[in-house]
Amino acid sequence: MSDLFNVRRRGTGTGLLLALLLAGCASDAELDTLEPQSPVADEIWGLALPVFIIAGVVLVLVCGAVLWLSLKNRVATYEGDDEFPAQTAHNNPLELGWTIGPAILMAIIAVATSVVHFSINSVDEENAMPLTVHGETVDWEPTVVVVGQQWWWEYRYYLDGQQITTEQLADQRNLPPADIVTSGQFAIPTGQEVELIITSRDVIHSHWIPALNGKRDAVPGRFAPWKIEAYDPGVYFGQCTEFCGLSHSRMRMQTIALDPPDFQAWIDEQMAPATFDAELQAYVDAYRAGEPAAVDDEASAELRGLDVFAAQCASCHLVNGFNDMVNGEPYDGADVVSGSAPDLTHLMGRTTFAGGILNLYNEDGTVNVDDLARWIRDPNGIKENFADGLADGELPRGMPDRNLTERQIDDVIAFLITLGPDADGWMIDATEVE
Amino acid sequence: MATATVDAAVDSHDEGGHDDHGTTTGISNTKLAMWVFLGSECLLFGGLISTYLLYKTNRGPGPENTVIPTDVFDIPFTSVSSFVLLMSSLTMVLALSALTRGDNPATRAWLLTTAMLGGVFIGGQVYEFTSFIREGVGFTHNPASSAFYTLTGFHGVHVSLGIVMLMSLYVASKQGKLQPKHTETVEIVGLYWHFVDVVWIFIFTVIYLIPVD
Amino acid sequence: MAVTDEPLALTTGEDLVVDRPLGVFTRPQGGKGWRDWLSTVDHKKIGIMYGVAAMFFFVVGGIEALLIRLQLAAPDGQILSADVYNQVFTMHGVTMVFLFIMPLAAAFANYLIPLQIGARDVAFPRLNALSFWVWLSGAIFLNTSWIVGGGGADCGWFCYSPNSGLAFSPSHGVDFYALGLQIAGIASLVSAINLIVTCLNMRAPGMSLFRMPVLTWMLLVTQFLLLFAIPVITVALFLLMFDRLFDAQFFNPEAGADPLLWQHLFWIFGHPEVYIIILPAFGVVSEIIPTFSRKPIFGYSFMVFSGIAIGFMGWGVWAHHMFVSGIGPLSVWAFSMSTMFIAVPTGVKILNWLATMWGGKLRFTTAMLFAVGTVAMFTIGGLSGVTHALAPADTQQTDTYYIVAHFHYVIFGGGVLGLMGGLYFWWPKVFGFMLNETWGKVHFWTMLIGFNLTFGPMHVLGLQGMSRRIDTYSPGFGFAFWNLIATIGAFIIALSVVVFFLNVWKSRRDAPHLPAPGPDPWDARSLEWMIQSPAPEHNFDEVPIVESDDEWWHRKYGYDENKNVVRIATIEEATQKGDAVGVHLPAPSFWPLVVALGLPIIGYGLIFNLWLCVLGGALVGLGIYSWALEPVDDPDADHDHGHDDHDDDDDDDDGEGAEAEMADATAGAEEGAD
Repeated sequence: MSDLFNVRRRGTGTGLLLALLLAGCASDAELDTLEPQSPVADEIWGLALPVFIIAGVVLVLVCGAVLWLSLKNRVATYEGDDEFPAQTAHNNPLELGWTIGPAILMAIIAVATSVVHFSINSVDEENAMPLTVHGETVDWEPTVVVVGQQWWWEYRYYLDGQQITTEQLADQRNLPPADIVTSGQFAIPTGQEVELIITSRDVIHSHWIPALNGKRDAVPGRFAPWKIEAYDPGVYFGQCTEFCGLSHSRMRMQTIALDPPDFQAWIDEQMAPATFDAELQAYVDAYRAGEPAAVDDEASAELRGLDVFAAQCASCHLVNGFNDMVNGEPYDGADVVSGSAPDLTHLMGRTTFAGGILNLYNEDGTVNVDDLARWIRDPNGIKENFADGLADGELPRGMPDRNLTERQIDDVIAFLITLGPDADGWMIDATEVE
Repeated sequence: MATATVDAAVDSHDEGGHDDHGTTTGISNTKLAMWVFLGSECLLFGGLISTYLLYKTNRGPGPENTVIPTDVFDIPFTSVSSFVLLMSSLTMVLALSALTRGDNPATRAWLLTTAMLGGVFIGGQVYEFTSFIREGVGFTHNPASSAFYTLTGFHGVHVSLGIVMLMSLYVASKQGKLQPKHTETVEIVGLYWHFVDVVWIFIFTVIYLIPVD
Repeated sequence: MAVTDEPLALTTGEDLVVDRPLGVFTRPQGGKGWRDWLSTVDHKKIGIMYGVAAMFFFVVGGIEALLIRLQLAAPDGQILSADVYNQVFTMHGVTMVFLFIMPLAAAFANYLIPLQIGARDVAFPRLNALSFWVWLSGAIFLNTSWIVGGGGADCGWFCYSPNSGLAFSPSHGVDFYALGLQIAGIASLVSAINLIVTCLNMRAPGMSLFRMPVLTWMLLVTQFLLLFAIPVITVALFLLMFDRLFDAQFFNPEAGADPLLWQHLFWIFGHPEVYIIILPAFGVVSEIIPTFSRKPIFGYSFMVFSGIAIGFMGWGVWAHHMFVSGIGPLSVWAFSMSTMFIAVPTGVKILNWLATMWGGKLRFTTAMLFAVGTVAMFTIGGLSGVTHALAPADTQQTDTYYIVAHFHYVIFGGGVLGLMGGLYFWWPKVFGFMLNETWGKVHFWTMLIGFNLTFGPMHVLGLQGMSRRIDTYSPGFGFAFWNLIATIGAFIIALSVVVFFLNVWKSRRDAPHLPAPGPDPWDARSLEWMIQSPAPEHNFDEVPIVESDDEWWHRKYGYDENKNVVRIATIEEATQKGDAVGVHLPAPSFWPLVVALGLPIIGYGLIFNLWLCVLGGALVGLGIYSWALEPVDDPDADHDHGHDDHDDDDDDDDGEGAEAEMADATAGAEEGAD
């Protein structure tokens, strides 16, 4: 990409000026497209900005001409006015001029567009990074498989050092087991071009992190290549941008960019199965053996919560180390239309839930128990869905109301809080959604 | 069709039949309208044919219901029915020429022959559909079968409408209301009929004859 | 044809009785009151009905728009549930596109094309009536889904699969969408055929193609776009309907289908549709600006050819709606290039309008204000269009409010403002009284200000990252301020529409106390101003012989030896008096209405009970056959066939003969496969 169109990071000079002008009174907007934070977003803005300026100039010229002609040539009435202006009806050189002139201008813009277009659609083949996985160092071509479904995003990491291909993915409803599965939030290493492979399990969605790149549709049956990159560590907000049904507006996500060492730490955390204290572990072991233990009222809230989870949640939500393998049978997906529900193995490592619309933590770093309870109590009230009152054989879309008692809700939250490790404080601050 | 002819008969002050001195282009309104309409029809069949081409080998994810139409094509049979339809264009021309000569019995005979050839084609299509369904190609089974039945079905409906028009002309002629001055009415029905035939040649080539690899 | 005074003696010697073999009614006579309107085949009355119905649906779509704006006025809006919001924005788009602006353009096309080319009527008067009634029945059918369909369609006007499939949209809303638009599509197609034939075949002597007014040209291009675009959307809607009603597998990814098929079919229709919407307004502006500049249109041939060029190029840019769909970088690139170059003919038009104003004497009537406003507002929409022709930039802009802003500047700023100007311009011709200019100017300024307040901020919102079709947003996104402004703007637009209706009411009330506008109140240029206002039923007393473009102007004005314009005739001298008697006009008919009534019954049948289809089909069949079998004229009517209108007479009769055939073929093709 030539420097001509490459506005430097964070936009300088006119870029910043125009950005401020356009952003008006809300320059801190989380989804702002005018504050690119990645090479690709910079390239796009570097192309768009000159064209915005050209368009602005043309606009001023045309509207100025309209205004000027209107003021200069106006008459109040034709009444009693027998004098006609010159009846000029054509001027072919002029006509040709304003046919060819704009065509040349468009041709110049077209060349610039072509350069940027093929640049942002190219893939850096030489960007493998070393990663320690299960104690072994592998060369990882940074790739994240992005899967949309009503109304949340799933992110899958394949870390065995082999580049995952669309042939291997093949069927979006039966994707090969991944090393890491997370939802609503996904981490990328900074300074690395990360390839995204975007698909959907139900309807068309569109994945968009404005600060890092434009959007790309998630189409069921297709695996769309796309890429993102972040210059700096931080949290970058996104929103589903292809209308995907009922709760389209409540389908959000964030990209967490981490320094490579932090990214390695994140990988390590996410790779591990959930860990339980001794009391829970005993229950878990029995459950995995296909002989669930009875839990009495005197047990700890966490254990009672785990029991509720086993009965009410585990048929859809996966917790690695718990219901990934029961009685020798692997977890086989959720009984919902998309066949998938968010993986909760390291729930507390994230800072948002319910499709990126609610905070998992309060500002002071404590767990946002109130919103968790509200969500479990009445998911449809917070995020409309088609999960309750279904006809026989009809599968839910979204999280059903399980009709838990208040005590069960408290218990299950107590259990969920054990699914750590907890998110870092800076992430909590940075991801706070209002 | 009958409607048109009766109309024209009623319209007895229209001595010249379909003289075209009244229009700017010299082509009568009705004929021009039919041409314009057929232009639109090209896009209709274009859309349907494109859909079929996109899906022609699409068996769906299986393993159920994965038989697609190309698996069960009976090319000799369809060739014969295509030939029948082609011949009907010839008889249509003969009907028009008979009417121009003022030979009403021959007109009726050729109209009836055309309609019957069309009927044979439709019969062939019904037979083809039922035998395909017996062989496991259901309309709802996979994209290829849905596209196949929709495309050929649309064409079948067009042929059937043509037969209705031809029979209407036949009845009108029977009542003595189809006279040489009405040749343009027959010509316009003929335009439609030839168009439907040409579309079939296209469909037959694209769907049946070009092999699937 | 020969003119007979005898009561229709048949060459076959048969008795007249056979003319009504099914006991068909005689053709109704042009009476008074509602029966007249229901049975009319007069292109002017049909045009008026299109206009009235379109304005009704403008109000409906406008109320839906206000609901959307109320919901979005502040973060976390609670006015509508997500479900209702999705239905409302879907029906807003569908209503405004298919039930407001297309029929409003059809109103202009119907009323003005025959007048501008010097014809007595369109080529097929009864088919014209059919178009209107079919469109209206489709429009009503579509909206009954609110009552009987479990809500409106909730898939967006673009109705992308698989979200439009039964699994994801289980109410009947999408069924009503698919069937309602098919019915409306029949109307558009029939109307397109009719008007194309009219333009090509019914022109007055001397009215060569390149003497046709720019409006007629743009409407003709529009009809060709409809002719070729409607069958494509018809295919798409059929496939959708088969999927939903008969379990076909066209769009179901679970069965291996490709959801992008729908997008291609929809946008192959959908992009020409944009020009279908905008070109009539371009035509209107091209009539108004010369009139109120006292100059001929600048660069007539460039205006016409740029319109044709837009019409052609409009077919090669559809996939710019799909830049992020994953159609592959090469396709995206190709469509990005083609899209950029469609800006060229559009720019030519804008510059020619400016050149027309250059050196002119501009008289700012309300119509002129709207026309000039259209030029400015459309320019904004066109320029923002260029910014997302750049495929890379579009990846940031598409499906955000930036796009919403863009197409409202095109469709509202270009299309609606232009057609509003047309209403003020031709109102005296249609109704015989002027709209009040003061109120008209209030209407214009409130609409212009409201429009910019509503859609201007949406550019900012889109660039700030506000997605389309969201029913709520968080305070942290920073969208609140501009959304509130947009909502205020929307209510100002609503106010301007109220002002318009009040103006109509007031102007009508005041009309008897004011001098009649006369045939040519604006000192205009084309043939429709040559006849009395309101236009007499027979249009022209005698068909004008056309000798130049701007024929009517040249009948009023000539040049002296110094090339100065001099008046050679007063309006009074040059107009036709509208007093011709015995002009033979096509007789009214009820059958188009009957056919049109049958179609929605077939629609309900497909959704609720297939037996209803039999009833609807029978009604359509009965309508078509009775139509064809009814006499061309009411034999009882008192005919005095004037020799001078010999030619037209022949056209009408001749035309109606196979008109039924067309109806049969068209309607049949459309619904036959059900």
